[in-house]
Amino acid sequence: MKQYIKIALILFAICAVSAALLAGVNAITAPQIAANALKETSAALMDISGGYSLGEKRDGEGNVNYVITLVDGKTIMGYVLEINSNGYGGPITLVASYKTSGELIGAKMMANSETPGLGKKSEESWYMQQFVGFGADKPIPTSKNDLADPSLVSGATVTFTGVSSAINNGCEYVKSLGGN
Amino acid sequence: MSYIGIIITYVFVQNFILVQFMGLCPFIGVSKNSESALGMGMAVTFVTAVASVVCYMVYYFLLVPFALEYLKTVAFILVIAALVQLVEMVIRKMTPSLYKALGIFLPLITTNCAVLGIAILNIDNGYNLLESFFAGLAAGLGFTLAIVLMSNIREKLELTPVRKSYKGVPIAFISAGLMALAFMAFDKSLITNLHLV
Amino acid sequence: MSHTKELTKGILKENPVFIIMLGMCPTLGVTTQVFNAIGMGAGVMFVLLCSNIIISLLRKVIPDSIRIPSYIVIIASFVTIVEMVMHAYVPAVYSALGVYLPLIVVNCIILGRAEAFANKNTVLDSALDAIGMGVGFTLSLILIAAIREILGAGQITLLNLSESARIIITVPGLKDSPIRVMTLAAGALLVMGYLKALFNWMGDRKAKRG
Repeated sequence: MKQYIKIALILFAICAVSAALLAGVNAITAPQIAANALKETSAALMDISGGYSLGEKRDGEGNVNYVITLVDGKTIMGYVLEINSNGYGGPITLVASYKTSGELIGAKMMANSETPGLGKKSEESWYMQQFVGFGADKPIPTSKNDLADPSLVSGATVTFTGVSSAINNGCEYVKSLGGN
Repeated sequence: MSYIGIIITYVFVQNFILVQFMGLCPFIGVSKNSESALGMGMAVTFVTAVASVVCYMVYYFLLVPFALEYLKTVAFILVIAALVQLVEMVIRKMTPSLYKALGIFLPLITTNCAVLGIAILNIDNGYNLLESFFAGLAAGLGFTLAIVLMSNIREKLELTPVRKSYKGVPIAFISAGLMALAFMAFDKSLITNLHLV
Repeated sequence: MSHTKELTKGILKENPVFIIMLGMCPTLGVTTQVFNAIGMGAGVMFVLLCSNIIISLLRKVIPDSIRIPSYIVIIASFVTIVEMVMHAYVPAVYSALGVYLPLIVVNCIILGRAEAFANKNTVLDSALDAIGMGVGFTLSLILIAAIREILGAGQITLLNLSESARIIITVPGLKDSPIRVMTLAAGALLVMGYLKALFNWMGDRKAKRG
């Protein structure tokens, strides 16, 4: 019996020491991790704001996580949306900015697990450039045959469909807001 | 994702061995004959299914309420090690015939990436309890499928002339590579096109 | 055995990946890019070194009957530390390694070295063993990753922390029409098979000569 208590105590001590150690490391790294996430998001938002300032933040609907208004003085010029969709490697998140008419100003891929060399290309700036300017008079290209050069996205059709449908959903959502 | 979607994903599309490389050590080590391959596969399936459920409960009912999410890895591996031990004891007492079939494989399963892998992936993917169970079950079935197919190939390979330096493990890896090529037919777009997302 | 021998045996003679065949899952899972291989190698080396030292220090304290759970807790703690530190300071590496990072816990190399070496040897020898094995593991990963990335993507990624901190060497010709399957799962298994065959062949030749 005494033997068992001793064994249990040793195992317990090892667990306790490691838990304490991890708590310490967590206390140091957790703020940094939170700061990284915030920095990444705000840098992305500034990147695609099209020169307008960021206004108030509202909750979105459906696939749209949140909406931030883009303002020039007090007039609402457009919106930035964070949108969820599905890519090849699982869920993807992207941020996209639109004028009130629904025209895309810019977009950026955020969290994703797409294949390097194929779907990962969506993280590069030229990828989203293919959609910029569409959404108001001209519809967002949702099939790769609508693109100027479909070969750029070949081999990663699932990613393209995920991204384009997300941008299209965002466009519809912006139009439904009606400039408010 | 629907339950059928989850099952197809983990059995075929994201097959643990041929796509994610989880559980590769037993896959190469225990696939020399089909009988032991089936035994290993069944033991892994049993443990992944139970471990998925138990780890889910440990995470959401124990770690999250106390904000101890960062202990996930430590807690999961301890739970799995204890679980494997428990399963071994229960099987030995309850059904000696099953123990005879699975017993020798059980101690190997603690360090099988597939078990810890599916437990972590369930949390990362935000699955609920039932989804976690199906994901665990399907991951194990996918493992079984791959290891049984592999063992049949290797039994045939034994009788085939193979260059000396390729004998055994290298030719097994190359065969697995060719199997993985075949499994690429189960593309992720399959799930999307069948509307199982 | 001399101390140098403890250090160098992991690199070729007892190479953990090609000779002992341990830790296959991360070996193939993360070797789509050379930089990922370096990240994984560094993570494994840190965990291996720390756990070998601690286990060697505690080898007289831990009773035999609970040695496996104790080792697992020690290893898992160091893995979690690596996870948290990478998440905080090199988030690009953290997200690239994904689920394979916590899976270092079940990397057989680490538990294997604890069982086979650290619980029987002094702290110094255990540390040297860990460094040797870690270097051998990292070099093997880099070798596999280099083959896969050159053939599969026509490039070598040496550094990829953010858009501004990137060193990528491109291979002309292959860059435009790479053999994409090499970066996918099937390519990993094929490369591993051929490399193992090569190591077997070299081993046989050495044995014949010797």
